[in-house]
Amino acid sequence: MRRLSHFGALAGLAVAALAFGGCSDGGEEVRADGPEEETRLRPDPRRPELRPAPIGASFLGQEAPPAVGRPSGRTIGPRMDPNETPGRWPFYWTRAVYSGAGRGWYGGRGGGSWATDYPKGDRQFLVVLKRLVGIHAYDWENAVRLDDPLIRRFPVLYAVEVGRMDLSEPEVEGLRSYLDAGGFLIVDDFWGSREWAQFEWNMARVFPDLPIVDLPLDHELFSAYYDIEEILQVPNINNGARGGPTYERDGYVPFVRGIFDEKGRLMVVVNWNTDLGDAWEWAESPYYPLVYSTYAYEMGTNMIVYAMSH
Amino acid sequence: MDEIFEFLFKFRSFVFEQGDLAFGAPTSLRLGLGIAGVVAASAVATYTIARGRSTVADRGVMAGLRVALLGLLVFCLMQPTLVLSTVVPQQNFVGVLVDDSRSMGLENQDGSARADFVAQAFTPEESDLLARLQERFVLRFFRFSDVATRFDGLDELTFDGTHTNVARALDAARQELAGLPLSGLVVVSDGADTDDRPVTEALVPLQAAGVPVFTVGVGDEVIEPDVELGRVELPRAVLQGSTLMVDVVVTQNGIGQREIPLLVEDATRILAEETVTLGPDGEPVVVRIAFQLEREGSRRIDFRIPAQPGERVERNNRRTAWIDVRGEREKVLYFEGEPRYEVSFMRRAVEDDENLQLVLLQRTAESKFLRLSVDDSTELAFGFPTSREELYRYRGLVLGSVEASFFTFDQLQMIADFVSERGGGLLFLGGHAAFAEGGWAGTPVEEVMPVVLGDPVTVEGGYFQEVAVGPTPAGLAHPAVQLDADLTQLRARWDSLPPLTVVNPVHEVRPGATTLLTGTPVLGGRDQVVLSFQRYGRGKAIALTAQDTWIWQMVPALEDRSHESFWQQMLRWLIDGVPTSTRVSTDQERVEPGETVRVLGSVSDSTYIEVNDAAVMARVTSPTGVVTEMPAEWTVETDGEYTVDFRPDELGDWEVELFADRDGVRVGGDRTWIHAAPSDDEYFEAGRRTALLRRIADDTGGRFYTPEEVATLPEDITISGGGVTLVEEHDLWDMPALFFLILLLMGAEWGYRRLRGLV
Repeated sequence: MRRLSHFGALAGLAVAALAFGGCSDGGEEVRADGPEEETRLRPDPRRPELRPAPIGASFLGQEAPPAVGRPSGRTIGPRMDPNETPGRWPFYWTRAVYSGAGRGWYGGRGGGSWATDYPKGDRQFLVVLKRLVGIHAYDWENAVRLDDPLIRRFPVLYAVEVGRMDLSEPEVEGLRSYLDAGGFLIVDDFWGSREWAQFEWNMARVFPDLPIVDLPLDHELFSAYYDIEEILQVPNINNGARGGPTYERDGYVPFVRGIFDEKGRLMVVVNWNTDLGDAWEWAESPYYPLVYSTYAYEMGTNMIVYAMSH
Repeated sequence: MDEIFEFLFKFRSFVFEQGDLAFGAPTSLRLGLGIAGVVAASAVATYTIARGRSTVADRGVMAGLRVALLGLLVFCLMQPTLVLSTVVPQQNFVGVLVDDSRSMGLENQDGSARADFVAQAFTPEESDLLARLQERFVLRFFRFSDVATRFDGLDELTFDGTHTNVARALDAARQELAGLPLSGLVVVSDGADTDDRPVTEALVPLQAAGVPVFTVGVGDEVIEPDVELGRVELPRAVLQGSTLMVDVVVTQNGIGQREIPLLVEDATRILAEETVTLGPDGEPVVVRIAFQLEREGSRRIDFRIPAQPGERVERNNRRTAWIDVRGEREKVLYFEGEPRYEVSFMRRAVEDDENLQLVLLQRTAESKFLRLSVDDSTELAFGFPTSREELYRYRGLVLGSVEASFFTFDQLQMIADFVSERGGGLLFLGGHAAFAEGGWAGTPVEEVMPVVLGDPVTVEGGYFQEVAVGPTPAGLAHPAVQLDADLTQLRARWDSLPPLTVVNPVHEVRPGATTLLTGTPVLGGRDQVVLSFQRYGRGKAIALTAQDTWIWQMVPALEDRSHESFWQQMLRWLIDGVPTSTRVSTDQERVEPGETVRVLGSVSDSTYIEVNDAAVMARVTSPTGVVTEMPAEWTVETDGEYTVDFRPDELGDWEVELFADRDGVRVGGDRTWIHAAPSDDEYFEAGRRTALLRRIADDTGGRFYTPEEVATLPEDITISGGGVTLVEEHDLWDMPALFFLILLLMGAEWGYRRLRGLV
């Protein structure tokens, strides 16, 4: 168990990310910071030249990416910087844009439930991931629609709030071919039996014959980078900051499940009844318990390393 | 023509070739020439003074004719003589070597067999040739196919030899007759030599001993109608499941430029079929045929063209080869310096390949490594190997995006030695920390790379290009990049693949390196070298400069198998031919039962240093399961080389295993096969090889004959100068040619005068 070996980095990040501003979790959680502060600190996507350097990056000694062509504020689900060609970087932390009933935040401008914690959670996760792992990653968020053919340029995909997912047929086709081609989907932040049923129904449309199964702790996913010996329930920022409870709705027990293809390849990792994304996003908060954010980063790192090696 | 020559000059041209010209006049040649000069000058003066009505040209012509005439007379007065060394009758020996191989049984166009000439020429009391030879010489008869052996009667000839080795036969006959006065050797053969070694080596001792070789070529030079499969080259061993690309040469004579099928078969099924469009008469066409070998073990592969209507030789329509299909799981170490998708996708691409074990060592963070597909917990426990013994366990090494400074100098030198000394395959992949950008310039490994490293790109954002990848002409012919079994679709298949990206500008390869794939920048610019390789020492080094071949898996249609095919073939190619520390081979792949086979063993220790003090044992298993063990001895000439001979005495596949022990510890072992089977070699390229036979004769001072010309053979040997000889002088002044020439010159002058009105 080397979980606490990066405690310093996480603690430092907690301080640094304060300046990053807070983002909401789709309206179901209360923001930690007041709206005024958020408005003041959140970069204006329409004026990229005024965007401050990513605080986490500078704190961690990383060079800020060039301030050009940020994702357009008018488009929900930008793929990436329009000046960026997929492939320049070996890794793009890519968020799945899907159809659904919920409403995410997306930098304060709304969006579907896919946009929960977006983009701060993504940026913060990247900063820490690059700190922990020797990975050459694109520094910014990247969101791609499931029915966009270019999704196949990004072999790892992250989807949140999938309990509100309601995939269109093109999205079902896109996700199926993506996973069949070799893609890897990480699912996070959905709670309780009702949301599970919704997610399960959607996945059954993608793979009618493939079951969703529990991943045992001796699965290589749990030792790909860190040795994880216990699956923790990671609470959202509100529950975590006020000391409990960790569950939401009837999601009392956390699960890490998976979908394997016919050859035994793990295609989908499902983090159910847990919210890794919030822990990534709020790791800097002094009120958010370090044990959860540490676990979340370890789990996130393991999933990335696993996806890039197995 | 020869008769006319002999009539004009008294002797055949060959006699002049063998003899020396001398002058028998008592005065010296200089004096004679002096007199001739004075006479010629007088004649010219006469013509110059007595002008008459003649012009300068007239006088010149007439003076020339007259001088030539006088010169001829002077030549005759000098008593020209042909000096010949002729053998003393019955004092000299002649070796007669008769080709006893199967090709001598082939029929000529007129329906006779090649061997018929032997009966005609050498049947006692019936053959004039034999009688005249025996009149002059003591004859010694040899029959030969592979080696020459004495025989006394024609009934000993079987014409069933499986090889024709003229050089070895000449050498054996020369040694047999050494010490005897030898006037020459006579070789009766079609010249269809089946040995690969040049015949010139065997001629040197004959030239030194002054023994002329007289060759009698029998059989048709061109056999038609006939279609023939040329030599087929296959590796002795391949990994199970490997795709082989074999070039087959097909030649026809008298068949016509039509299309015929070419089949590749093993014992149970057709492996591949290709349509061949035949070339013009005698012009070979090359057909490339690809097939896969799935089942483990020694496999007999037949390449076959069905017999064509009226074909004279059908047994040259089939080539047989054996190949050892090995089921071992070969280990390749892939060291990757960072998490990236190439790792997971490459592993996935080869996971179904049971013969490849891709051991992964991936640096996930500083001093933190992920190991996958290792044999046990100790393998690579301390990261990248630090000793040769540890590194040399792998047959191939893949270096991903990892900077050179990660390695110690010793490790860098070890990587270079892995290729040059161990003979391993080394594959460099493109990436942010690869090639020049990874600081590899100036390291011991740079020399190993098949590409030229430029200055590292230092601009912000680095170098980046999307490139459309396609095969070069060399790539189209190389098995490693054959994505489609249908070779005609190869380029289209490559064109259908999405572009890759490169972050290392690589535009040049080293001298001697071969580029198989190039990349054309999508947005324009200089072409990128995408895949190239070179031999380096005992091994090979490959550079694949793209950083994301996984795109070929993710982006194309799901049924597209390009990515899997590419990586399986790439890694198989990487380890193809990589030696083990102990290797066994045989000097021949196929022998006739009873022929001797030499087993060659090469023994090294775990660091691939040859050892000469090993106890090496060869275990030979016959087709019926009889096991024989024989110790192999160090050859002394070559470090680590051991040999032992054995003689397969039954038809079938013989398994040869070699084990090497040192100080009671097993150093290594290896296995190969030798196949005892009838040979059809004699039926390939079976037309009479006049050029070879003529060359043997010319180089030794002998003469080449066809059966129609052979009548002069006894006389020619007589004057060839070999053996115990006497000197004979023959006058040449009375050659009819001289008389006719004198008449011609006189007539010419007279005619000229008449023509010009100068009479």
